[in-house]
Amino acid sequence: MAKDTPITAKSDSTGDDGRLVRLYDHFRREWQIYLMLLPTIIWFIVFLYKPMYGLQIAFKDYSIFKGVANSPWVGWEHFQTLFSNDSFIRAVKNTITISFYNLLFGFPAPIILALMFNEILHASYKRTAQTIVYLPHFISSVIIAGIVITAFSPTVGVINAVMGWFGLDSIYFLTQPDWFRPIFVGTGIWQEAGFGSIVFLAAIAGVNPSLYESAVVDGANRWQMMWKITIPSILPTILIMLIIRIGNVMEVSFELVILLYQPATYETADVVNTWVYRQGLQSGQYDLAAAAGLFNAFVAFVLVMTANTLSRRYSRTSLW
Amino acid sequence: MRKLCLTAALLAGSAITTPAFADGHLMITEEPLELTIQMNHARYPIYEESWPVEQVARELTGIHLINDTVGANMRTDENTGRTEALNLMLASGTIPDIVGSSRIRDFVNQYGPEGAFVPLNDLIAEHAPNIAAYYATRPDIEAAVKASDGQMYYIPYLPDGKYGRAYWIRTDWLDALGLEMPETVDEYEAVLRAFKTQDPNGNGEADEVPFFARQWPELIRLVTLWDGRAHGSDTYHDFLIEDGQIGHGYIGEGYREGIANLARWYDEGLIDAEIFTRGSSARDFLLSENLGGSTHDWFASTSGYNRLSSEIEGFAFEAFLPPASPTGRRIEEHRRILVKPDGWAIGHTNEHLVETIKYFDFWFTEEGRRLANFGVEGQQYEMVDGQPIFTQEFLDAGPVNRSLYQVGSQLQGRGYFQDYNYEIQWSNEFALEGIALYDTMPELLIPDFLGVAFTADEQQVYDRTWGTIRDYMLERQQSWILGNGDVMADWDDYIATLDEMGMQELLAVMQSAYDRQYGG
Amino acid sequence: MSGVNLSGIVKAYGALQVVHGIDLDVQEKEFVVLVGPSGCGKSTTLRMIAGLEEITSGDLIIDGRRINRVAPKDRDVAMVFQNYALYPHLNVADNMAFGLRIRRMPKAEIKTTIDDVAEILGLTPYLDRRPADLSGGQRQRVAMGRAIVRHPKVFLFDEPLSNLDAKLRTQMRAEIKRLHNRLGVTSIYVTHDQVEAMTLADRIVVMNDGNIEQVGTPMELFNNPANTFVASFLGSPPMNQMKGTMTATGATVGDAEILIDGASAANAGRDVIVGIRPEHVTLTAQGPSSALPISLDLVEPLGSEALLHARHGDNAMVFKADTNGDISHLSGVGEVHVPSHLVKLFDAETGQALTLGA
Repeated sequence: MAKDTPITAKSDSTGDDGRLVRLYDHFRREWQIYLMLLPTIIWFIVFLYKPMYGLQIAFKDYSIFKGVANSPWVGWEHFQTLFSNDSFIRAVKNTITISFYNLLFGFPAPIILALMFNEILHASYKRTAQTIVYLPHFISSVIIAGIVITAFSPTVGVINAVMGWFGLDSIYFLTQPDWFRPIFVGTGIWQEAGFGSIVFLAAIAGVNPSLYESAVVDGANRWQMMWKITIPSILPTILIMLIIRIGNVMEVSFELVILLYQPATYETADVVNTWVYRQGLQSGQYDLAAAAGLFNAFVAFVLVMTANTLSRRYSRTSLW
Repeated sequence: MRKLCLTAALLAGSAITTPAFADGHLMITEEPLELTIQMNHARYPIYEESWPVEQVARELTGIHLINDTVGANMRTDENTGRTEALNLMLASGTIPDIVGSSRIRDFVNQYGPEGAFVPLNDLIAEHAPNIAAYYATRPDIEAAVKASDGQMYYIPYLPDGKYGRAYWIRTDWLDALGLEMPETVDEYEAVLRAFKTQDPNGNGEADEVPFFARQWPELIRLVTLWDGRAHGSDTYHDFLIEDGQIGHGYIGEGYREGIANLARWYDEGLIDAEIFTRGSSARDFLLSENLGGSTHDWFASTSGYNRLSSEIEGFAFEAFLPPASPTGRRIEEHRRILVKPDGWAIGHTNEHLVETIKYFDFWFTEEGRRLANFGVEGQQYEMVDGQPIFTQEFLDAGPVNRSLYQVGSQLQGRGYFQDYNYEIQWSNEFALEGIALYDTMPELLIPDFLGVAFTADEQQVYDRTWGTIRDYMLERQQSWILGNGDVMADWDDYIATLDEMGMQELLAVMQSAYDRQYGG
Repeated sequence: MSGVNLSGIVKAYGALQVVHGIDLDVQEKEFVVLVGPSGCGKSTTLRMIAGLEEITSGDLIIDGRRINRVAPKDRDVAMVFQNYALYPHLNVADNMAFGLRIRRMPKAEIKTTIDDVAEILGLTPYLDRRPADLSGGQRQRVAMGRAIVRHPKVFLFDEPLSNLDAKLRTQMRAEIKRLHNRLGVTSIYVTHDQVEAMTLADRIVVMNDGNIEQVGTPMELFNNPANTFVASFLGSPPMNQMKGTMTATGATVGDAEILIDGASAANAGRDVIVGIRPEHVTLTAQGPSSALPISLDLVEPLGSEALLHARHGDNAMVFKADTNGDISHLSGVGEVHVPSHLVKLFDAETGQALTLGA
């Protein structure tokens, strides 16, 4: 967002002028900066703040025909519907579980990848490797799902073929609730770890090279340099990314779940967004969907605030 | 290409057709009247005023439909034709004079009573003799169209023809293995097992997939082979109606029996191991790779695969009658439904209600129905012995359905009564043979559940319970077939859980809605 | 015997040679400063000694051992970097302990070492602070502390004061000198600032373009620059250099003749460059000297002395004169007097110093 403007640099503390006069002077002097800010403000108002008005349908019996304002209020009814529904509760649990695995395995992956890239000295080899791992990010979820379904197919899938060499029975992975999460989280890592490593590579590139030289003279080996210099140096970046990631905990990649899950795997695969899709949007219950969305946002908000506060307290790094 | 066709058709249309319909007995208004229309469908994102069919309808009725479609995605590959466009239209605040769409029923039944659409009962009675005459012969369909307040809010698209899907089998494989056409479920099982074990494709590997399906719920449909029921209408997992009683296939004894047997089949490899994930390309892939043995799928499109005989020696994929259950019953659960939730409705700001309902009625007249089904005389068809017959030139011009959409006929966003003759003319011999075979056993078909309209209270019960119940039933269903759990052992728990989720309550409101709508 | 010996050291990046085979002997406990303009190869040379750059050819010997291929950590050298290279995530004590921990020194020993060094550097109150919370001078001290705790055979300094403001630089310069006197560790110091070189060095190595121009004590270099480059690099302001022609008694510069001790008819007619240090002229004739008529452009008072910017013919020159508290007497100056024994001569073509009468 907008950077601090250097307005404080000049001060006209004549004391005699009223606030209005000073405000007028201020705007006359700094109007270009406000002009530059304007598109962002408009974007926020139009695309984020104005739609918030529609959030009230979570508390209404919403009819598109009657409109947001004229639909009758129903209080917490939609939330009661949600929380009296076992499958919604299950979806919340699944969302959190999948996100937790995503965080546990998916968050370190791009960092590890970035650290590994950083250790590759051969420039063109490094570029090639990076391109290859970035690629899956640009493939649409539909194609990704097709690849996954094929790879894990019990008859033609490469995974089962390899298992076959070791004399293992083939498994119809995508219908086994126990396998859904590993496959889903693994797919997510495969797809996003490469692209996610860019931000960490940028952070690593920002580390002062003389820190490494100094460490070399002090006798550190590459492993020690990674642990004692690289990782601590990019720790602020890691923490910021972690906080952002925690804010997205409720946003499990919805399209990919839809494409990969089956009734047989609902038990572990059904997340809040897919639940809302099936129960709410497919049958036009926008008010119920809005209530679930609001719940999601609330949980995410609490998590981000908590993570941010903890991070600020213990590492002096925070989003705000 | 398409543009060219249209222009040519237009020119031809005004030149040839004008004299033929000059008598004006179908004219609704003296002065041409313009009515706005929203029409969004997967195949035609907006209503094209240049459609030859629209041009002819203008001349005959004096009513000009003006396209006013909101929310259409003009990239037809991304345009689903579902209710998104309707919702956008409603959210935009203005409703055109006429609104046509697929899946319009629930939409108008919800927003009609709120005032968004005009109730049609009185209008039909007073101004639409052809529609009224049709409903007089089919009170069940009239009932199915009504909302919970007893009013009709849309004029439906009424499909014609009886059969939709059928059982198909590689008859050349049967011959190769010296097997008879299976008549009972046991014989069917034996055939499938032979396909699996006796290498009918002759490549030396047991890579045959005896039973496969493009949509996995078609596998569940096989429970009818053990007197179970699966889908009560052409909507998968739908409720069913039996002797005026609402029920659900997935809680019946036959279903339990059927699932147990399907689990055994699956375990033995008689069913595609990837049945749940193979998806819509299953038929195309398995047939052209000479792997698939049997399926349950549409007459028209499946019969077309016999063209593979040019690549695969002796390839023959033919329809056979549903195998008899152990008690000797044969049913074909799938059929062409009598009334679709598609059609058109009148928006509440329409100031020409009488003209509009007369216009709707026009499409139920003989001339209107022919226009809706076959296109324009002299262009797409000629009258031969009093029957509309597609010209050979038109039949050769590519997929007939697509060609008809392109001139504005067979639009399911329009309320009309389909004429099955249009389809017979371009169905291939295998399909026609199959249909003839099924026609030898009229008792195969069972009544469809035509749906109910809920009151607000009933709707609430349905919304609260159905999604959860459906998810749970499907979850268990797949698990049992895949061998995670045993349907015989789990059954009592399953039924108890469903009751806990409100199954009985749901069935009760379904029944009360049904009784109200169809007069119990 | 912790001397450092460089012989024939060459550094090349592919086809581009940046250090052209330099020879240098640094004695034990000596403080040697490498000075030269940027790009002269001084930092590269230092980094080769530290082991951060590979040596293309030549021998690097520390303590009698050839260490061309020895890993940096085993060379027993410590380096202080221009931007301090402090670890931002570690506090002062941990920064200083970093190298010791890597070397697995026992904890108790680390603590006493750090405490001692912090005491020496006046860092004791700041041991718990992070680098971001320190002033520039304090950071500089931490950087040195980190080198000192290692007790290396050789200290390497890479422009350690260039990030400090002028006042702090003077102060730190003196501190480095005192530290060296106290610790007596062989030190090699790189700078582009000739004042730092003059004040700190036991011996100065002037480098230019990958070569060593001259090695010697500060005063040797000041008094007897080996060539015009050294002459113009050392001294502030630098030595005035004017084209001239030898005569039997001195040299003509423009239309004036400057007497030079040791001039003889043997050299007469030779083209030379005449070098006169700004501080060596006087306003009145004192001893054997010659008058150089000048036109005065500008007088810059510096306090006790002033700089006179002047011209003689095409030659621009700068002289220093005492003010005695007033510059009014300087405004009318029309000539300066050049002592005949302090005039330097360089070959006009090679720029090498000429010694007369030898």
